[in-house]
Amino acid sequence: MRGVTALLGPLKYLLLAAALAYPLTPVSDVYVLHVLVLIMVYMVLAMGLNIMPGFCGLLDLGYVGFYGIGAYTAGLLTLNYDLSFWVIVPLAVVNGALWGVILGAPTLRLVGDYFAIVTFGFSELVVLFLTNEIWLTRGPLGLPGIAPVSLDLSWLSTLLHPEWNWRYDFYGETPYYYLGFLMVTVIYVVMRRVEDSRLGRAWLAIREDPMAAASSGVNLFEYKIIAFAVSSGIGALAGAFFARWTMFLSPDMFKFWESFLVLCMVVLGGLGNIRGALIGAAVLISLGEVLRVVLPGLGLPAETRFLAYGLIMVLIMRFRPGGFFTAVAESTLTSPLIMDLRRTLAARKTG
Amino acid sequence: MEAILRVDGVSKKFGGLMALSDVTFDVARGRILGLIGPNGAGKTTMFNCVAGLYRPTEGTIVFRPGARDQQVQGEKPEKMTALGVARTFQNIRLFSSLTVLDNVRIGRHCRTFSNFFGAVLRTRAQRAEEKRIIDDAMQWLDFVGLGGNALQSAASLSYGDQRRLEIARALATDPKLLLLDEPAAGMNPKETESLVDLVYAILEKDVTVVLIEHDMKLVMRICEHLVVLDHGVKIAEGAPAAIRENPEVIEAYLGKGAAHA
Ligand SMILES: Nc1ncnc2c1ncn2[C@@H]1O[C@H](COP(=O)(O)OP(=O)(O)OP(=O)(O)O)[C@@H](O)[C@H]1O
Ligand SMILES: [Mg+2]
Repeated sequence: MRGVTALLGPLKYLLLAAALAYPLTPVSDVYVLHVLVLIMVYMVLAMGLNIMPGFCGLLDLGYVGFYGIGAYTAGLLTLNYDLSFWVIVPLAVVNGALWGVILGAPTLRLVGDYFAIVTFGFSELVVLFLTNEIWLTRGPLGLPGIAPVSLDLSWLSTLLHPEWNWRYDFYGETPYYYLGFLMVTVIYVVMRRVEDSRLGRAWLAIREDPMAAASSGVNLFEYKIIAFAVSSGIGALAGAFFARWTMFLSPDMFKFWESFLVLCMVVLGGLGNIRGALIGAAVLISLGEVLRVVLPGLGLPAETRFLAYGLIMVLIMRFRPGGFFTAVAESTLTSPLIMDLRRTLAARKTG
Repeated sequence: MEAILRVDGVSKKFGGLMALSDVTFDVARGRILGLIGPNGAGKTTMFNCVAGLYRPTEGTIVFRPGARDQQVQGEKPEKMTALGVARTFQNIRLFSSLTVLDNVRIGRHCRTFSNFFGAVLRTRAQRAEEKRIIDDAMQWLDFVGLGGNALQSAASLSYGDQRRLEIARALATDPKLLLLDEPAAGMNPKETESLVDLVYAILEKDVTVVLIEHDMKLVMRICEHLVVLDHGVKIAEGAPAAIRENPEVIEAYLGKGAAHA
């Protein structure tokens, strides 16, 4: 058993290296790359949503609303003002977080199911807005022709040499693959760090027992609002990436089903477990791709895949209610301070 | 004797039920006050009013953590904790998927400051604070005798140890007033004995204790002053010896606790 664990460490890095090298190898395939980028988008969504039901025990059924807000913020700012992706990302995140606060302030005082219903209503409202406010969003026609991401350092290069032009436009899947990888890594590190902090502990306390949390001095309302803002901001980040990757947006991309799908990922991976969110996203997106091929073969419309997701949820609830990974606050157990403490305690026991 | 808490004419109504009616008493600083009474007398409701979980229907609660009186009825629980009132629950409420240490670390929440940005950027101040939180939490865990169990899951502790952990979590908030709701319930005689020592050690730390307890022997032994509730009404108050003789109290308990009181 110890041998296996010892192997897992290096194996992890090997897999990581392989994942990073994949697009450059001869076996790389545009379709596979596309699916992998899609998985990365959903990994970010799943990590972001995880904050609500996973860390705080709040059922958010409208997460796709923030994804849509982020996507349209990015799409419109690109089309109308030709802003750089790197400027748009913080704007989209702030816009998503802001809507999180606007929606959360009146509703997070509600308990239990009401919050779920309000978030559900909100995401429907976002779709209605995107469909009907044609002057802004072009409605059902959607937003075509969104420029791809570009890395423009020409201002720097021309300073160095008048003929240099350091500008790179993201065409094809490979650059998005690396950008997506960066995004997933950043959000993963952020989530791990937050999990192992005063903020993360306050969230987990709310999930475990709100009454005891309040009596331990946690301001429930404030910390739920923070959770909702961070969660929504991350959803909007994924949306901004999505907009500049697919270069086309339409309101029906942000239907309720997407919220349900992301929620399935979080539950499948294990509520409150960050790695679980990553696995859940990878599994369900891959499965979706398989079903997309298999279902029409069986003479069923592609939408029936949601029945398959539903079935998976039922099976999970029945046989593994905690999901793949049941541990919460995992990063806490391996943080340097805790490792120190572990050594001190061990020394205390023997000495 | 200076009062750290004055409960003045407090009533609490649940629909048609008067869980507390016009209850008045003082808690002397630095002492142990016992709050007793038969089942459903309103003891826990009184704690919930003091700790900010319920807003009293009527009456005032004045808390005096330092040199200044503060009217606190209807304040939020987190505000009461920040002011210096901590409590444990009759049916243990731990953060059971978390470690023992994390439970107590959460108790430090109201005395610490780092936020989202500190957590993400791991600033020097945030790291120093995390270190301090662990040190303080460990100090309280050692105080209740659970230091060696720090990295275990809270749910894995024995019943008696879970009660101790709840006390450690409450103490980690640096309270001036500690409300213990039936801390000896479900403990064996040995555990109860060490609980008594723990309560005395808490008093040494300049924390005033209010104790709800059904174990009359225990109450009579460690409390200097008792308040007796029955059906939401305060029926007696005084030293344990006098309470034991009080006919109204005996009647309230008759057929239940009177024999061994
Ligand atoms: N939230 C509530 N809603 C309605 N009724 C309540 C509520 N809390 C308590 N009560 C009622 O108020 C009365 C007093 O309850 P309380 O829990 O304060 O009694 P207690 O003295 O702590 O009893 P015990 O010794 O059994 O713990 C009981 O009749 C109880 O049913
Ligand atoms: Mg009670």
